[in-house]
Amino acid sequence: MSTVIENRRRSTTEIAESTPEWKRRLTSDTAARLTAGISFFLFWLVVAAVFTRVPGPVEVVQRLGDEFARGEVFGNFGVTLYRFGVGVALATVFGIVIGVMMGLSKLSRAFFESPVLVGLSIPAIIWSFLTVMWFGFGDTSPIVTTFLTAVPFVIINVAQGVRGVSRDLRDMSSTYQVPLLRRMRDLVLPAVTGYVAAGIRFAVIIGWNGVLLAEWFGGSGGVGYRARFWYDANRYGGFAAWVVLFVGFIVILDRLVLDRAISRAFRWRDNSA
Amino acid sequence: MSDQLLDRPPELVVKVEAGEATARKTASRRKMRQTAFIVAGWIAMVLVWEFGSWWFGARILPRPHEVVLEMGEILGNGNFASDFTASVLKTFAGFGVAAAVGAPIGYLMGRYGYWRAFFHDGVTIAGTIPAIVYAVMSLIVFGLSNLGPILAVALVSAPYVALNVAEGIRGVDKSLITMSEAFGRSAKQIRREVLIPTIVPFVFAAIRMCFAVAWKVEALTEVFGGRNGVGFQIRTEYQLYSISGVLAWMFLFIAFMLVIERLVLAKAEARLLAWRPEERSTAL
Amino acid sequence: MAVLTVRDLSKTFNVGTPRASRVLDNISFEVQGQTFVSIVGPSGCGKSTLLNIISGVEEHTSGDISLKSDQGGDARMGYVFQDPRLLPWRSVMKNMMYVQDELNEETTARARRYLDMVGLAKNADFFPGQLSGGMQQRVGIARAFAVEPDLLLMDEPFSHLDAITARGLRAQLQDIWAQSKKTVVFVTHDVVEAVELSDRIIVLQPGGRIYEDITIDLPRPRRQSDPTVATLQAEVLARLEKMKAATQVAAPVA
Repeated sequence: MSTVIENRRRSTTEIAESTPEWKRRLTSDTAARLTAGISFFLFWLVVAAVFTRVPGPVEVVQRLGDEFARGEVFGNFGVTLYRFGVGVALATVFGIVIGVMMGLSKLSRAFFESPVLVGLSIPAIIWSFLTVMWFGFGDTSPIVTTFLTAVPFVIINVAQGVRGVSRDLRDMSSTYQVPLLRRMRDLVLPAVTGYVAAGIRFAVIIGWNGVLLAEWFGGSGGVGYRARFWYDANRYGGFAAWVVLFVGFIVILDRLVLDRAISRAFRWRDNSA
Repeated sequence: MSDQLLDRPPELVVKVEAGEATARKTASRRKMRQTAFIVAGWIAMVLVWEFGSWWFGARILPRPHEVVLEMGEILGNGNFASDFTASVLKTFAGFGVAAAVGAPIGYLMGRYGYWRAFFHDGVTIAGTIPAIVYAVMSLIVFGLSNLGPILAVALVSAPYVALNVAEGIRGVDKSLITMSEAFGRSAKQIRREVLIPTIVPFVFAAIRMCFAVAWKVEALTEVFGGRNGVGFQIRTEYQLYSISGVLAWMFLFIAFMLVIERLVLAKAEARLLAWRPEERSTAL
Repeated sequence: MAVLTVRDLSKTFNVGTPRASRVLDNISFEVQGQTFVSIVGPSGCGKSTLLNIISGVEEHTSGDISLKSDQGGDARMGYVFQDPRLLPWRSVMKNMMYVQDELNEETTARARRYLDMVGLAKNADFFPGQLSGGMQQRVGIARAFAVEPDLLLMDEPFSHLDAITARGLRAQLQDIWAQSKKTVVFVTHDVVEAVELSDRIIVLQPGGRIYEDITIDLPRPRRQSDPTVATLQAEVLARLEKMKAATQVAAPVA
């Protein structure tokens, strides 16, 4: 075996040894995230420079400070969170009840299918118009808007989860005569929890939009009302400051609370990722 | 099937046929019961509505037939067509922008770890931002013009498209890539023959999912500041305190958008995905 | 035909992590000419990894591997996988042409000829989803032969099929190979199959070392009903059992 080896391919050890350190560091995930943040910031600066009406970062931070100084932030957030919380809680309870019914019986699915579809397709803005007409200015209109926009999403997610409980596993359980209680605990609940969590997450995201809209048109306090106040005054810096607040709120809620809850509920599904 | 029947003794054939008939009858009875419940669902909805009008008074919640009459009126005077086309065109223009921006981003995210880390946070955050923020932001950027709704639709849809495409690329059948590499196919060939056909269904799923959200955002932006389109009409009616007008325009728009979804998107999807065995059977 | 040289080849997965595991350990061998070589071993001994490294789909950790055509230049490769690996969105014929370097009358005719050899000429315009598993696998075999490879790699191509279909395809493979005489590296865990098909069997042991290199000198075509084939199969099987016993004793010590 003294032949000279041609066309040789490099082994991974060789490739790793030939990659310089700085290159590895520059292509790491942390570097990518940092670059993304910087790019976004530069993009914002450019847009603010091109469109005179778009407030730049400095102005937004100033306005944000002003709102905190005036004491507008916590009071309005408290009001909105109350409405949002009640609306989403109601949507979750009703959504789970109706969703489980739709998942378990074909006939209740037939009954609820069209109302849910209609509910899905009615825009949040219409609900906020209507509820302001019906209930006037106050807490009721944003609560009802949040509830009505969010509930169809919970229903379809829960129904899908219940229906997805594998028929094979159900058959298996009945051949082994697994008692009903254990069947609920070990088969139905784990299978459905993830879908319920996903449904609630949808409800939170959609409901947040609903409550903001209702407050925008409702005129009775809350973060949506405050944002509109600045918008109407043509002070877009103030509006943008509120955008930062309510986007920040929903992102924190979504990333830190809901996303973790969902991946926990779905952790049996795949370990690879 | 019929050969098997012929091999059996005659009395068994009769029994089998009788059994089949009973089975068919139960099936059709079940189907009828299901239809009855669907109808009941619609009736219940109308009843709830009627009850609401009685409770709140017909001025702030007009009765169903009033809204239907109003819809007839809108359809009758013929002006609706220009508003509908305006809204639909803006929605599709927004889609076009979203696909043009979102698909390449999703491709990069699905294919390379670096770009995944780069875009991931931004795209997920963009996906959770409430639609009202996009609507108002677009108005601030473009003022009262047609560009506002287009930008809003694009901003709402692009994250969905990107995430779906990324998901599609990451879910690509690795064994097909290995196969292609083993046969020495070029990167370009792999892209054209393996990756793109894989992501087509995901792009469609994204578009269909977005479509339901997008036209609402489009209308919302027009409500905030549009000079034509369905949203503009809804705002006009609202400012005249004509709730029946608001509802009539909304229902017409919903119906119109459902038709577009079924006709345009579903047809295109069925054609592009003809290779999928299950798609073929549903298309027939 | 191809000249394949493997020298001191090692492969470790998850290098530098606690989960690091070595699947191939200093393997050296050479394959050339009109030979049908089988690589046999229990599951998890690195057979498929070795094949992937030869094909260039996976990278090796250390050592050297070279592959060239005996006419000089790069060797052209064909690969038959465990599963068919056809593009579901392309017709059978388009799948055959996908792996061709040039699209012309000659290659088209060649693709058709091999498709005909596996008995699927009339299914050329079908989508893979419309064929049975065995038919899809036949397309996979035809596809690999149709590129006229210098080296043909096969990774347990019959393991996902039922016994009867597999036997039919083995006979078909022997016929096609007899006509074209490529250099073949065939991976399998089935010794009986290896003896029936190959001129030489390389036995890998758990841990990824070569245990034995056996030459099978039997006339072709071989059929399973032939007693001399059966005798040899039994003999090789016995040797493998001995290896299994030896490595099982050795395992706890290591």
